[in-house]
Amino acid sequence: MLPYPLLLIYRNFKRFKSTFFINLIGLSTGLACALLIYLWISDERSFDRYHALDGRLYQVMENHRTAAGIETQGGTMPLLAEALRREMPEIELVATTTPVPFFDAFSLAAGGRHLTGVAKYVDPAFFQLFSYPLLVGAPATVLQDKHAIVLSAALATKLFGSPQRSLGKAVQWQMMTDSTQTSLVSGVFTGVPRNSSEQFDLVLPFALFKDRMQMGKTIKWDDDGPFNTYLALKEGADPAQFQAKLAGLLKTKSAQAQGRTLFVRPFGAAYLHGTYENGVATGGRITYVRLFALIAGLILVIASINFMNLFTAKASRRVKEVGIRKALGASRAALVGQYLTESVVMALLALVVAVGLVQLVLPQFGALTGKPLALRWEWPLVGAGLALALGTGLLAGSYPAFYLSGFQPATVLKGKLPTRAGDVWTRQGLVVLQFTLSVLFIVAVVVVNAQLAFVQRQPLGYDKAHVLHFEAAGRAARQPAAFLAEVKKLPGVVQASGIVGGFLRKDSGGGPPGPEVSWGGRRVPVTAQLGNYDLPETLGLHLVAGHSFSRQYRADSAVILVNQALVASLGMPNPVGQRLDGARIVGVVRDFHLESLHEKIKPYLLRLEPQAGTIYVKLQPGAEQATIARLQQLYAAYNPGFTLDYTFLDADYQAQYVAEGRVAVLARYFAGLAILISALGLLGLAAFTAERRRKEIGIRKALGASELGIVWLLTGSLTWLVVVAIVLALPLSYLLMQRWLEGFAYRVAWQWWYFAAAGLGALLVAWLTVSVQAWRAARRNPVLSLRAE
Amino acid sequence: MNLMIKTDNLEKVYRTKEVQTKALNHVSLTVERGEFVAIMGPSGCGKSTLLNLLGLLDEPDGGSLQLLGTETSRYSERQRAELRKRSLGFVFQSFNLIDELTVFENVELPLRYLGVGAAERRQRVEQVLEKMQLLHRRNHFPLQLSGGQQQRVAVARAVVNAPPLLLADEPTGNLDSASGHDVLGLLTELNEAGTTVLMVTHSEHDARYARRVVRLLDGQVVLENSRSQF
Repeated sequence: MLPYPLLLIYRNFKRFKSTFFINLIGLSTGLACALLIYLWISDERSFDRYHALDGRLYQVMENHRTAAGIETQGGTMPLLAEALRREMPEIELVATTTPVPFFDAFSLAAGGRHLTGVAKYVDPAFFQLFSYPLLVGAPATVLQDKHAIVLSAALATKLFGSPQRSLGKAVQWQMMTDSTQTSLVSGVFTGVPRNSSEQFDLVLPFALFKDRMQMGKTIKWDDDGPFNTYLALKEGADPAQFQAKLAGLLKTKSAQAQGRTLFVRPFGAAYLHGTYENGVATGGRITYVRLFALIAGLILVIASINFMNLFTAKASRRVKEVGIRKALGASRAALVGQYLTESVVMALLALVVAVGLVQLVLPQFGALTGKPLALRWEWPLVGAGLALALGTGLLAGSYPAFYLSGFQPATVLKGKLPTRAGDVWTRQGLVVLQFTLSVLFIVAVVVVNAQLAFVQRQPLGYDKAHVLHFEAAGRAARQPAAFLAEVKKLPGVVQASGIVGGFLRKDSGGGPPGPEVSWGGRRVPVTAQLGNYDLPETLGLHLVAGHSFSRQYRADSAVILVNQALVASLGMPNPVGQRLDGARIVGVVRDFHLESLHEKIKPYLLRLEPQAGTIYVKLQPGAEQATIARLQQLYAAYNPGFTLDYTFLDADYQAQYVAEGRVAVLARYFAGLAILISALGLLGLAAFTAERRRKEIGIRKALGASELGIVWLLTGSLTWLVVVAIVLALPLSYLLMQRWLEGFAYRVAWQWWYFAAAGLGALLVAWLTVSVQAWRAARRNPVLSLRAE
Repeated sequence: MNLMIKTDNLEKVYRTKEVQTKALNHVSLTVERGEFVAIMGPSGCGKSTLLNLLGLLDEPDGGSLQLLGTETSRYSERQRAELRKRSLGFVFQSFNLIDELTVFENVELPLRYLGVGAAERRQRVEQVLEKMQLLHRRNHFPLQLSGGQQQRVAVARAVVNAPPLLLADEPTGNLDSASGHDVLGLLTELNEAGTTVLMVTHSEHDARYARRVVRLLDGQVVLENSRSQF
């Protein structure tokens, strides 16, 4: 036997089956969306938050005043950690590290096995600052020795069979073209969790890096370093006071460091709040977290509106019950409680269905978002699910509960629902709101997809087709010129070259601003890359003046190519042949998009460089597979033990828009669901309208109205609601999407048909939905309708 | 004096945008404890409006209304609900049973609102159903019963909390004559047992069961007479 309130709810659900199912589908779909978004958001929020010292853990950042405004960077001078340790007693631990994207992967060899791995040089305090549990070794001592190496458990297992067996074993490693080094394994860490913003496989002492790079022993405060400095404040230390102290530090140290300010940012905040504009944190991925939270909320609102509308629409059939209960002494509060319980139970039931739906689509959703998400029955998830259901239930039930319980018993005991203009307006207003949101979603989908299509069409200034790249390891890295000569001989290879680091910038605007160059009294920050002969040809860069890197220049001669943006910002009349900070400009390339289209094309220079961390190969179209097979053979012969791990430049380009691509796909799904739920609501509402106007339809038909006329009668009233929604939604969607588009320096132009498509789409869905009901009502035999009355 | 109901110049006005209709016009009326009063009059004379006001289902626009010696015309919704559940029982022409509740659940509803415990509820509901010869129908839904049975359920529900005042609005209006007779018999029994009964009817036959008849016309009391004067 069910408890009394549940029993009542069960019987009511049984009585109004179609309403029940419409509500169940709407609410469970809405809740499933919200749960999926919750899983995604909690995963995003978990990034970099797993360190035991989180809360006291900070990264030292630098604001750098330039002609273009304040640039914010995470790169700091090399010996800052030691200096801070000496000067700031508030600091408990501090460590300098090299940033992960700093190097190409290292080549590793041990016991005849060859691998590559991403490496990081770090100060000894690293494993005390960050919680990467050590399976072998102790955090305080594992990096004391300059020739120590700490491997991830996965790497240690691949090289030695198990973490334990690797202790004390020698690993030979090579950083780019540097000579091979040998270090002894002093520790093994469990690995970097997936929800870390940095992924690396091995850790080496920063002291060794300093030796190799012949860095000075004392800090130079005006150094502009790419290194990262992390610190943990002592417990009880006031971060604000520390911040103030740090802000004044550079001024007291160096006259050249004017215009530069140090500050700390909470380590865990970097992932979501990584974007700075003019020295101020302006967001980052948090924008998408907020956007999706908003979408989840809106979809729940749309689903709740269905519940409200259907509940109040069928009120005429429940209103008598209200009267009876009131006559028997039920207070308004008791009735409100009853109806709220009903909506909350409905929402809880929908939650159960939603969990099933989530379970069903989670693998696809995970693939779509690039996150292996799982439903783990832990308190935060259970709590969130219950809170969502409870919130939705109360939201959905609030209006009907107060609406129904507010009637005078004497009026409603007659079984007639008093028509109050306000109620009709509310119900219509809710439908308008639903469709406004739906149209908003449709416009968003259209605009996001149009922008992504634009991104694909936009001439980039380089040729991304048929170009692959791979990291130079082993002998290929040590002797790039010889290796490249061999590559060029392969049939199917059009051109090949090398570059230090990668060509395209994955992060937009988040990286260090790069050095400044000066000419004619102007100083301009530039993005500088180091590339080999034939790089412009391999990448299809277009020369507008001068010539490319020809063999007449020795590989280590200081010659550079610059882009038009650099020439323009320096105001150089005849750039070719000019000297820029000691390097000679030999050619000017047409502006190209090194970064995503979010960013304006910035001043850029490419310096001729004999080293090559990454090899780029342009393939002949049509014969890619055969050429790749030949490349693999050559690579294996050159570097026994290594396998060629290649990526296409086109994929790098697409990777610049991963976030937008995901937004586009998700927006499509969410818009589809919003429309579906709204249409369901409209379907229910149309059914009730048809029911309520049954007698009227009967009379009209008896008087000679055609079926089509009846269909128009019923669809007309709901059509204008959708039209109002469209009128409201269009300017709103323009404003919102214009803001999104402003995130792109290069963006698609608005087209009138974006709005027309969204409006017509919504109208079409509404018509189809309503006309099904209207047609059924119109075809009913009028005699039956009239007799029923 | 042992007054159950005392109204003084009671008024009720229905307003729409265009028209204003005075449904009750200065109605002054007293009903003593233990009386069985019938209110009669043609359609639209204000009988049901009066009953709704007396039953605190609607609010008067003027005048005073005392129930059980207490002035109620300025009661809040909460106070009115409280008085309804403790002291009033209703029987309607259209039975007004809740279709989703069984006979038992319909009858126990007033006790639920009074906060009576489950065991006592069961006992009292069974008792009254037995008295109404409906115990065997306790698990049926209203739509599974005949009209007469439904009205008996409604009477059972009205008296289950032993209210001192029972208000009946055309209780036999939807019943055949045999069932109507049964229901009126029940009301008489209840009245004889001490319950004050106020019944709205337009049937002279039904009114004969009452000891006093109040006649309304156009919202005003036009005549009051006792059974002997019928």
